[in-house]
Amino acid sequence: MNYIEWLRVRNCLRTTAIVLVVFVALAGILRISLSRYMSPQQWAQHIGAEPGTTKTQITLPDGTKRTILDNPNERTHIVIDDRGRAGTHITLTEPSSHEHKNAENVQIGGIHVNESRHGDLSTTTIDTHGAVPMLYFMAIADVVALIIATMLAAPFAREIDGHLEIAFTKPVSRVRYALGVLAADVAGIWVACALAVIACYICELFFGTYRVDFSGINSRAILMGLVMPAAWYALLCAATTWFSRAYGAVLGFAWPVAIVVGVLAVVQASTPLGLMVHDVGWVLSRLDPLTYVKFAGPDANDAMAYMGADFARRFGIEILLFVVYAGLALVRWERVEA
Amino acid sequence: MPAVLTVDPRSGVPIYLQVVEQIKRSVALGILASGEQLPTVKQLALELTVNPNTVARAYRELERDGVIETAVGRGSFVRRDGDVDSPRVAAEIASDALDVALREARSVGLNADRVRALFETALTRWFTDAAKDA
Amino acid sequence: MSTITISHLRKDYGGVAAVDDLTLEVPDSTVFGLLGPNGAGKTTTFKCMLGLARATAGDVRYDGQALRPESFERIAYVPERSTLYDNFTVNEHIEMTRRAFRAFEPARARTLLEQFGVDSRKRVRALSKGMKTAVMVALAFSRQAEMLVLDEPTGGLDPVNQRHVLSLMISEAAKGHSIIFSSHQIGQVERAAERIAILQHGRLILEGLVDDLKADRKIVEGIAPVGGFSLDGITSDSRVARCDRTERVVRLLVIDGAPEFAQRLAQAGATGIRVLDMNLEDIFLYAVSPADATTAVVAQELAP
Repeated sequence: MNYIEWLRVRNCLRTTAIVLVVFVALAGILRISLSRYMSPQQWAQHIGAEPGTTKTQITLPDGTKRTILDNPNERTHIVIDDRGRAGTHITLTEPSSHEHKNAENVQIGGIHVNESRHGDLSTTTIDTHGAVPMLYFMAIADVVALIIATMLAAPFAREIDGHLEIAFTKPVSRVRYALGVLAADVAGIWVACALAVIACYICELFFGTYRVDFSGINSRAILMGLVMPAAWYALLCAATTWFSRAYGAVLGFAWPVAIVVGVLAVVQASTPLGLMVHDVGWVLSRLDPLTYVKFAGPDANDAMAYMGADFARRFGIEILLFVVYAGLALVRWERVEA
Repeated sequence: MPAVLTVDPRSGVPIYLQVVEQIKRSVALGILASGEQLPTVKQLALELTVNPNTVARAYRELERDGVIETAVGRGSFVRRDGDVDSPRVAAEIASDALDVALREARSVGLNADRVRALFETALTRWFTDAAKDA
Repeated sequence: MSTITISHLRKDYGGVAAVDDLTLEVPDSTVFGLLGPNGAGKTTTFKCMLGLARATAGDVRYDGQALRPESFERIAYVPERSTLYDNFTVNEHIEMTRRAFRAFEPARARTLLEQFGVDSRKRVRALSKGMKTAVMVALAFSRQAEMLVLDEPTGGLDPVNQRHVLSLMISEAAKGHSIIFSSHQIGQVERAAERIAILQHGRLILEGLVDDLKADRKIVEGIAPVGGFSLDGITSDSRVARCDRTERVVRLLVIDGAPEFAQRLAQAGATGIRVLDMNLEDIFLYAVSPADATTAVVAQELAP
């Protein structure tokens, strides 16, 4: 029944795939150009290859292969723990130089680097957990999904724009027809998500990590990451179905309005007008699916903490928003006249 | 069947009557032979590009007038027996034409004698043997 | 398949009635022509019939039942303007129709498109108006639909293709399918339609079998005598739909009994009496043009 919508979805996905392929190709090129630089392991080995370095290799009781490189002359001490699939842990102690920072804590993908200085020595620990949190992939995939959702988002408005005579003279009820359209579009959004995740994974493979961490917050991130773009799509669907004559404008204004409303909801103000604006913004932001997504924020220790708090409530609201907005679109669709 | 039937939908005469008249005429002139099969309703409708029910109605009229007979499953045929009397049908056609002519003549104010004179002139013009009789 | 019964149909747009108290019955296996000037309410009637618009009052029933989604397996619709998807090809439209309707025959659609001269690989936006109409017609006529609703099915088509559409309609009629169509081409309506209805300003002003309308409606023309004459008794007869007088020529539009009126005109002293046939165009034009109400015609002696 919704062959045309499937065609639209297919065209959208084709564009997505092309963009992702370009993205992956760029990552590949980056990887190749970075291969000029040594990986942490190689760099540690390089230091260890200097004359005067003793190399000791032992195996710890838990199976970790430990390599200790010690150079008393250079006052360099390196411990490399190879945990196999659990990644590598490197501790490097060396004389401080101007390149070392007092304290630094960086996480890039699956690699965690910590630097600290004590006295004239600096210690750097490098941890490759060996697994990238799925959260990161979902974050990128969601951006892609939101874009696809916006591209697909005005299916009923498009039908209303001169094609109702076809849509309404098929042997299915209007509601069933609409549900088919929604299904096609949501499926398209999810496929776009999956494609983006695959693209990210391929990029990650380029950089040596092949494990993905699905634990805890990460699997919740998948659920949220699938429902949130669908809820955004449903919101736009409802808005464009009700304001079908100006659906282009609705789609165009959607992002800026969402951002402004989000900002207004967060920014505190002290003047009465400011407070009112803030309150209005807060209320409106409750209607925005993007409000209910939290990826990470600094915790009490200023370390990055993933806020999994009240996930069930936020997830439930997201699903509710999807259902309500889709319902609004359907109500209008049911009543519209050719 | 030869394509002698033409209908003018723009004429004020209903199409089915035109078909009836033309088939009678064909029979009278021997173009449609006794016992010859007529096209099916659908065939004739498509050929003339007219509504099939119109053709069906014409066929019913022709059957009622005894010009054709329809055998279910076999089709419609020109009647073989003496009901189709070519001279009679021809006479009907001519008589109808004369009616129209005389009505016109009267409507423009001619009297019977004047009309008769005109008739004689036309007769000699069209029927050369009549001149010999005069 | 079914009789369509339209009862007291009314559809308002912004307070103005596009269709006003329309009651009509389309019998089974009929070709029904809907005529009317632009804006008469023909398209609105179709939309109400097909559930595309909601009637303000009255209803439309198919064999006594309301329209249901499943009914569209048996109903095919060709709208007045192109509703095809501009960015997709004709082939994709064929596939869409195939997936939507069980009884659709893609091979027949392709044959028809070839006959109309449409290249199926083209995107719809690359087609001319006539070709878009041809596509919609080809898709509608390949569905073995028992009822065809056609709104100006020959819009934009060249004469050859127009005749082709007409032949398709007659073919469907011969299969016993019903067709209700609107057209400004009176010639086509005259050929294909068995019954017609004329709408004007949303109201039904005339309805009947084409053959009967033509057989019964005549113009009785006569030339008034120099001294003028009285038409009393003639113009008050309910069978006289109109009476027009231009100088000495009197024309009566009668809906029945033309010979009798010819006689009465003669008795009233008129000369040059003729009974003129009316073709459908004449019937239509007289029906929709503003009529001098017969009661307003003054039957009086012409002042010398």
